[in-house]
This record gives sequence, structure tokens and C-alpha cells, in this order.
Amino acid sequence: MSAAETVLRIASWISFFYFVILSLVYLTFTIVAWKRLAAHRRARQYSPLDELFASPFTPPVSVILPAYNESTGIVSSVTSLLDLRYPRNEVIVVNDGSTDATLEALRDAFDLRPVREALRTRIPTAPVRATYVSRRHPNLWVLDKENGGKSDALNAGINASTYAYVCAVDADAVLEEDALLLVVKPVVDDPELVAAVGGIVRIANGCRIEAGRLVKFGLPRSNLARFQVIEYFRAFLIGRLAFDSINSVLIISGAFGLFSREHVEAVGGYARDTVGEDIELVTRLHRYLRDRGEAYRIKFVPDPVCWTEVPEQLAMLSRQRRRWQRGLGETLWRHRRMILNPRAGSVGMVTMPYFLLFEFFGAIVQLIGIPVVVLAWAIGVLSASFFLAFLVVSVLLSMLLSLAAVLLEEYAVRRHEGPREIALVVVYGLLESFGYRQLVAYFAFRGFIDLVRGRHDWGEMERRGLERSAEAPLPRQVSSP
Amino acid sequence: MAEALVLLTEVFLVAVGLLLVTLVWRRVALGRGERRVREAERRVRPVAIALVEGEGGETTGLSAREQAVLADVLGRYARKLTGDADARIGAYFHDAHALRSALRELHARRMWRRATAAYRLGDMCCPDEATQPLLAALDDSRREVRAAAARSLGRLRVVSAALPIVEALVQRRVPNGIAGQALLELGTDARPELGRIAGHEDPSVRATAITLLGLVGDSGDSHIAGAALRDPSADVRRAAAEALGRIGTFSDEGALRAALDDRMHFVRAEAAATLGVIDAPEALPRLVEIARTDRFRPARAAARAVARIDPKLLTSVAAAPDAGPHLHEAADLLAV
Repeated sequence: MSAAETVLRIASWISFFYFVILSLVYLTFTIVAWKRLAAHRRARQYSPLDELFASPFTPPVSVILPAYNESTGIVSSVTSLLDLRYPRNEVIVVNDGSTDATLEALRDAFDLRPVREALRTRIPTAPVRATYVSRRHPNLWVLDKENGGKSDALNAGINASTYAYVCAVDADAVLEEDALLLVVKPVVDDPELVAAVGGIVRIANGCRIEAGRLVKFGLPRSNLARFQVIEYFRAFLIGRLAFDSINSVLIISGAFGLFSREHVEAVGGYARDTVGEDIELVTRLHRYLRDRGEAYRIKFVPDPVCWTEVPEQLAMLSRQRRRWQRGLGETLWRHRRMILNPRAGSVGMVTMPYFLLFEFFGAIVQLIGIPVVVLAWAIGVLSASFFLAFLVVSVLLSMLLSLAAVLLEEYAVRRHEGPREIALVVVYGLLESFGYRQLVAYFAFRGFIDLVRGRHDWGEMERRGLERSAEAPLPRQVSSP
Repeated sequence: MAEALVLLTEVFLVAVGLLLVTLVWRRVALGRGERRVREAERRVRPVAIALVEGEGGETTGLSAREQAVLADVLGRYARKLTGDADARIGAYFHDAHALRSALRELHARRMWRRATAAYRLGDMCCPDEATQPLLAALDDSRREVRAAAARSLGRLRVVSAALPIVEALVQRRVPNGIAGQALLELGTDARPELGRIAGHEDPSVRATAITLLGLVGDSGDSHIAGAALRDPSADVRRAAAEALGRIGTFSDEGALRAALDDRMHFVRAEAAATLGVIDAPEALPRLVEIARTDRFRPARAAARAVARIDPKLLTSVAAAPDAGPHLHEAADLLAV
């Protein structure tokens, strides 16, 4: 056997075992998630939200909405936040140096008046130019600041917040009416332990949204977005629930997450020098709390709390995934001492190694592994039975586990109307392994290259806008600094 | 080796296949169950309304499933109704299978069954039958069951449960929010017990008791909260200042004014807010000073207190060049 054949054979075996372990991990995650979802379903019978809403012990929350060039959708986003079913909350919109008419739109819609607000400066931010309060809604504040990026805007919002819990919300996100109640519930149950809570973010493309509220659920019409529906099920419903069971949730989506202000201030707020500010903050919180030996929980609730738009064009998807990959890489590198460090507990011993092996390097294995095995089989280095076993493990099992994610979603939060929609989701779950996954792996690989090259920008993100009926799209351009 | 690989993949396929089949079966069963419940609910709703309104409501012809659904519907109504309707719901459950079933389920092996039963008992308006089993459930090994039991004892307004709920609260066997809400449901009946535990050795218990007194108490309890202003624990002093703001009447304003000089900033902030609520003009000079010079929280609270007590004074002091951001903010908010 030549050296090249030996290399091919070794690479094939590595790929095979990578997919075996990955399948085993996903199978375990699925079973854990199912168990958690079943318990969560039953718990709804003895812990209804109505009583939480009526209780004076439900903590007040400051909702922070960073906005950059969101003039088209900002009014409906803020209106939906003001309409949240929650006993006591304030909404702080941070206009992060928008170059469009975001501030004017807010001024006109909410009758804003300038106020010389006293602001904390515990977390350094770009200068705040002016502060406004709404005459119609005394709990609505608007901060107009110089551009500093999303993290900087969130930090300014935290500085301006009144309450002990802050909730970061994306300007283009659509929240469920009970979203705040749902994420606050773990805090009410364990106020001394819970440092942060996240919930399920779902895809809004194809849904009918009116006045900042989702009024009719629907599947996206774009193929690309439909594949992402499956991906989101797997990530949110299975992955995060499984990590929640060992208190090592590493990602609370930037689109919607609740944090104890005290803890966020203690770690210095959102990092401004990363594009993965959400995963970085949660990782830093884990690190801080574990270093101090404090008992804590970072929770994930398996309720859909937030709906967001996903890219429907390849270029946009590519930018998003490259950015995600960079953000993940930056966070793993920044907190590398936690990886396989027993002092970091389950976060260091389970979650971070998982993210490193299967989320960060997974793209490379997926891109290289499959062609290598095909080549090895084609030139006779590998037997047909090995090749068949590899296909089963790398493709068929992925398909079936995607199906399991769809079924779990159907089991837990049934939103699909009729068997046609369910059948469509199942079909896309089956097709995902033939092209889409490889495409996403390719984008992630490019993100890896970006990281190596030291790229730091966010890139342009074009959104069509959510405030529209599913049939009548309204174009909108949004870019993040 | 190849055979081992094939075997491994077969095992995987079987495991995942089984998982999928089970999930499909569960989904179908759940969907069918929910459909049946919806249909049954449609049928029993007129019966439930008739029962609540005291217009009879014939239940003898209902199937076991319909009886269970009727119990759920009546439980939901019980959460929203009081008075005669409550009594009629209680009368229905007194003889109903649902009550006996819930009492039996309190001893079920599965936690969620016990918790659900404890929760449902709170909506059945039968305190005589449910009190003892629910009190026993406060000692359940699972927190969820204990929380549901505490909530139900509050819902049933079992005054004798005040002490056990407070003890569960003290021992952290029930979340503060749930125990607090249950004690709130007991209302003024819980005051004597809250007054007693306001002297508990654990400062967090004292703080909770004082907070609750602020919510359910009246001017007769202000001396307890007033005394707590001198508590060694800052959390208790903060709770006392807050409670006095809620109770609203307090003869010893001097104690509250003294709290403006507390060494903990959050106690000063709460005292300032309360002085604003109870409209204490004697505190104005010190409040203005705090608003100008203190840390963020007390300064903001003091400025807003000045705005409440004497808006004209606020406008004039905020016009001074050295007024500081908090007085400026309060003056601007006043103008808005």
C-alpha cells in the first residue's frame, strides 16, 4: 500500500468515527430533549402564566432594543414591545448612530421629548448624544448615541436600564405576547440562581405579521429558508435543551435573551471586539460565575418566544454563517483555557469541546471527509461495506435525526397547520443532507478562513422586512455596523 | 472489521428508527387526545355555565372523560370567580369523582401527577377536604409539588396554612414568589404570622416577611416595618423602607429620614422613594442634597421624591448650575 493510500485510509477512518460520534451525540441530545420537552409540557398544567402575570413578585424587566438604520420597521417593533403582556417593564431603544430616519420615525410615532437623563457609566460606551422619553408611553425611553456597534448599543441600554433584569431584543425580531413572562419564569422559580435565560427563536419568513405581532404561522416560500427551519429546530429544540440539562447552555440568541443586570455589569457587558457577542457574553458569564465558585443557572426555556427573519439569498446566508463561524471561533479562542478544564465544569468538559469539534471544525471534516471516502472507495482503498456503512452514518442517520427534530417540534409546540405543512417540513428534513448541509459547511469553512485572516467586520445584511403579509413582501435594507 | 462496522450502523439505524416510530406514535396520540378534549369541552361548557350560575347543570349523563373535562373547565372558572359561584363550584366538586381522583393522585409515583393534583385541588373550592392533604404535600420530596401545594393553600384561603407556608419559605422548600403569592392570597389573615416571622433569625426571611406585610398590611403594621428600619441586615432595612411606602401611613417619619443616611446606598434609595410617596416635606433639604451628591440609585430616587413632594422646589433647584444630572432628569420628566 502506497503512502497516499495509507493517508486516504486513515483520513477515511477518522471521518467515519467523526460521523459515528456525531450521530451518537445527536441521538443522545434528541432523547434528552424529548424527556425535557415532555416534562415541560406536563409542567404547563401546574404552572400557568396567568398567575405569574398577576403576581407582584414577578420582577420588572428593562427591554433593550439596539437599532441601526431600522426606520422602516422600528415603530412596529417598539409597538409590539410596548404591548407585551408583562406586569412592569420599560423599553429602551438605543439608536446607534443611524444614518437613516430611525430617530425621526420614533419621535413622530411616540411623541418623544428630550430629557437630560442621568446615565450610569459602569460599562464604557460611545457617547450618548441625547435621551428622550415618550409622552404617550412613560415607560419608553430612546437613547440617541454615536455609532459603536450592536454590543456598544446594548451596553448603553444596560447603563440606562432601571431594573435588575435586562432583556436584549433584536430590532427586527417579533416577540410572542407572553415572551417576557416565559423567560422570567425560571427567575421567579429560582431568583438567587438564575443569571440568564434564553428561549426558542423561530423563523418568521412566510408568517403573516401585523402590527408587530405574528398573526398566522406559515412556512417560508424560499427553499433556503425552509432548510433553515429544520436547522433551527435542531439547534434550539435539541441542542440547547440538551445543554440546559447540564447547565451549560453556551448560546442565548442575540435576538432575545434575558440577563441579570448585576452579572452582566460585573463581567463588563457585551464585548465590542467580536461578532459573536451573544455566545461570548454567555461564555464569559459561565467563566466568571464558575471562577467565583457561585451556584448559578443559565437557563433555556423550550417555548417559542421570538420570531426572526432568516436570509433567503445565498450571499446573505454566506455572510451570516461566516460571521457566526468567526464569532464562535473568537469566543472559543478567547476562552480556550476553559476547554477540557475540570474547573469549568460541564461547560469546559462537554459543551466547549462539542462546539470546538462539531460546530467549529465540523465544517472542515464535512467538506473534506466525504470526498476523501468516496475517492478511497473509488480507487479501491476501502471496501464496499465500509463505504456503505459510511454513507449510512454520514447521510442516512443525519436525515433521520433531522426528522426526529421535526417530530419533536410537532410534539412540543405544534404550529404547523395541517398535514401538508408537516409533510413539507419532513421532505426538507430529508433533502437537507443532499447539498444544503455541504453548502453551510462551505460557508462555515470560509468563516474559518476569515477568522485566520483576522477579518472583524459584520458585513451587510439585507432584510426584506417582517412587517408584511406573507403574500405582499415589503423590501427593506438593513445593515449592521 | 467491516462486519463490525455494518453491525454498528445497523444498531444505529434500529435505534433511530425506534425513536422515530415512537415520536410519530406519540404525536398522533397527543393530537387525537387533544381533539377529543376539545370536543368534550364544547359539550360540557353549557353544563359548567349552568352549574356556576346555579341553574342546575345535569352531569349524570356525562362520560368519565367528559367529567374530567368538566372538572378542568370549572377549575378555570374558579380562578376567576368568587362568592356564590365559588361556593357552587365547591358544592359540585364535593361529590365529584375529580376531587377524589386529585386526592388520590397526590400520592402518585410520578412527580408531575402529584404536582398537577396539588394544583387542581386549589381550584376545586373544597378547603375542608383538601387542606390536610395539601399541608402534607408541602413536605413532598419535589419542589414542584410543594410549590403547587402552597399555591393551592393560598387559593383556598386556608388561614391555618400561613405558618406552614412561611416555614416552607424559610427553609427554601418553596420559591419565594410562589409562597409570597400564596400568603398574599390569604390576605390580612396572614398578618399575625407575618408579624411573628418579621423577628426570624434569618435576615432573608425577615426581609420577605416585611415585604409581604407591606403588601397585605395596614397602618397597624407600620410599627413592625418601622422597627425593621433599624435591623442589622441591609436587605431587611430596604424591605422595611419599601413596605412603609406601600402601607402609606407612618407616624415616625424621623426614622425614615434617618434611613437617608444609611450606609447602604439601596436602603437610602428606598427610603428616599418612600419619603416621596408619603409626602414628607421635612425631608426635602436632605433629599435635594442626596439628589445632588449621592450615588446613582439614591440620587435618582431622591430627585424623583422631590418631584413628588414639591414640584416647584424641584424646578428651582434644577435650574441651578450645580444641580447635577438627577435633578435635571427629574425636572425634565416633570415637564414631560
